[in-house]
Amino acid sequence: MVYTARQIGAKNTLDYKVYVEQDGKPISPFHDIPLYADESKKILNFVVEIPRWSNAKLEISKEQKLNPIIQDTKKGKLRFVRNVFPHHGYIHNYGAFPQTWEDPNQSHPETKAKGDNDPLDVCEIGEAVGYTGQVKQVKVLGVMALLDEGETDWKVIVIDINDPLAPKLNDIEDVERHLPGLLRATNEWFRVYKIPDGKPENQFAFSGEAKNKKYAEEVIRETNEAWENLIQGKTQPDEISLTSTALPNVASYEEAAAKEVPAGGEDLRDAPIDKSIDKWFFISGASA
Amino acid sequence: MKSNIQYCLKLSKMSAVARLNQTARHISTAVGYNTVTEGSKYSSDFKAYLQLPNGELGSYFHDIPLNLNKEKKTVNVIVEISRWSNAKFEISKKNALNPITQDIKLGNVRFVNNIFPFKGYMHNYGAIPQTWDDPTIVDKETGFRGDDDPIDICEIGQRVAKLGDVFEAKVLGALALIDDGELDWKVFVIDSRDPLAKEINDIGDIDARFPGLLESTRKWFKDYKIPDGKPENEFGFNGEFLNADKAIDVISHSNAAWKKLTEGQLEYPKLPHIENTTLNGSPGFIKAKTEDFITQSDNPDAEIPESVDRVYFV
Repeated sequence: MVYTARQIGAKNTLDYKVYVEQDGKPISPFHDIPLYADESKKILNFVVEIPRWSNAKLEISKEQKLNPIIQDTKKGKLRFVRNVFPHHGYIHNYGAFPQTWEDPNQSHPETKAKGDNDPLDVCEIGEAVGYTGQVKQVKVLGVMALLDEGETDWKVIVIDINDPLAPKLNDIEDVERHLPGLLRATNEWFRVYKIPDGKPENQFAFSGEAKNKKYAEEVIRETNEAWENLIQGKTQPDEISLTSTALPNVASYEEAAAKEVPAGGEDLRDAPIDKSIDKWFFISGASA
Repeated sequence: MKSNIQYCLKLSKMSAVARLNQTARHISTAVGYNTVTEGSKYSSDFKAYLQLPNGELGSYFHDIPLNLNKEKKTVNVIVEISRWSNAKFEISKKNALNPITQDIKLGNVRFVNNIFPFKGYMHNYGAIPQTWDDPTIVDKETGFRGDDDPIDICEIGQRVAKLGDVFEAKVLGALALIDDGELDWKVFVIDSRDPLAKEINDIGDIDARFPGLLESTRKWFKDYKIPDGKPENEFGFNGEFLNADKAIDVISHSNAAWKKLTEGQLEYPKLPHIENTTLNGSPGFIKAKTEDFITQSDNPDAEIPESVDRVYFV
């Protein structure tokens, strides 16, 4: 299976949408990409939303048909994360696992917080910078439990199986060994990244400690189950579009939806990003 | 990107002079200096020449006045490398009129490594015109010879500046890097137009308003060549951050060295090119015809190798 990205509209505009295609046909990155690329080898599919070192807050749209990746807006304006010294934009390739959902109706027994109503978030730590709409095959290393404005927002730590370091990374402690400081920086970044927008510091469950691979696999299993209940109609979807072009056995299967997606392929130059996004915020106490 | 390519292809069919009349690749700066580029950025044939306010070409090294104001503590600076980028662009000493080119190492254009947690350079990085770290004499205070380049600057303002930008900046302090055994001053400055510039007057103000930046800078310069298998760099003055007055002394001193260079008083193997178009009466003074210097078309950027994305954990 070959996954590709189809861009509609120029980057950094309200028109920008990236659809994921399977063999050229638009599918939903939320529902139509199998969570496991190879379950026996524990290789998962991961959808890149935000390339490392960039600022545009891009995410899989839950509401739009076939869930294209779009830029988040706030009060009608495009949303960018601020640069928090010493970091530039996001510090990982950031994205989500397909076929997962953090159910807002359920509280996690340990974090005691409800799910954030999104697919499970993923931080991919390999050296290659990804692109929006890319589907990478990854292995799971661990998970951190961010409490973002009171909701559980798991961040699963993974690495691209094709990364030169991948054979050496098998669990969370290997991350500190081979990428010293990265987990601490990840923790710090998620705590402070909304401070420049006037929001309070975020908290982590488990005193900020990253949980190991086994724990992460359990979180993935639970969120995959929650998605399963959603797509089977056992949980009310609310505003979520469940339209699928690859799962003929679900009620929301609609093959024609693929044809409604614009052809793309236009010659699109990125729109300029406002210069104010260049600013580096120095938050006292945050350090490398 | 493609539309950019088409645009550049269109440009390549024009004469060099006609190209100069195209404004798109003339990047205006605060004080009327422009940049005229030829070749593909990120390739060895790329050159960015200075265009003076009167339309003639000039030298980044020699033809922009230093404009050192000791009272206001301001000086002119040139940006070679944008913050968060990796390509090692610098004012060329071995080309007449000293265009900005990308450094070449073992036949390849050079990129700095990403040293975790940083992406590329952490400042807008560049140089002070009409200054020179003199390699012909041993510096009394540090015991090292100069690195044969204009004085480097680290500009800390909020804006990401562009290659070839020329503007007035406030001098804040300095760090004496000893890079591969040569004295290589780094002067900290902030763009005079930056919203914070009024509040930042000396080295101590950097720590107050940009906590962690100085410490990170020192660590970065110490470590940045380790991924290439080189040892840590060292510092003069025990790695101390020197204040604005000392930085101004360093600039004055290196301006005097530059004067000796451009007056042709020095004998030393491989001195930098001293051709210029504004220092009337100096041995390097020339009349530069644009078409003698701009000989290639302005081509689309070359691809940056993927290896540049790698992050090193030192």
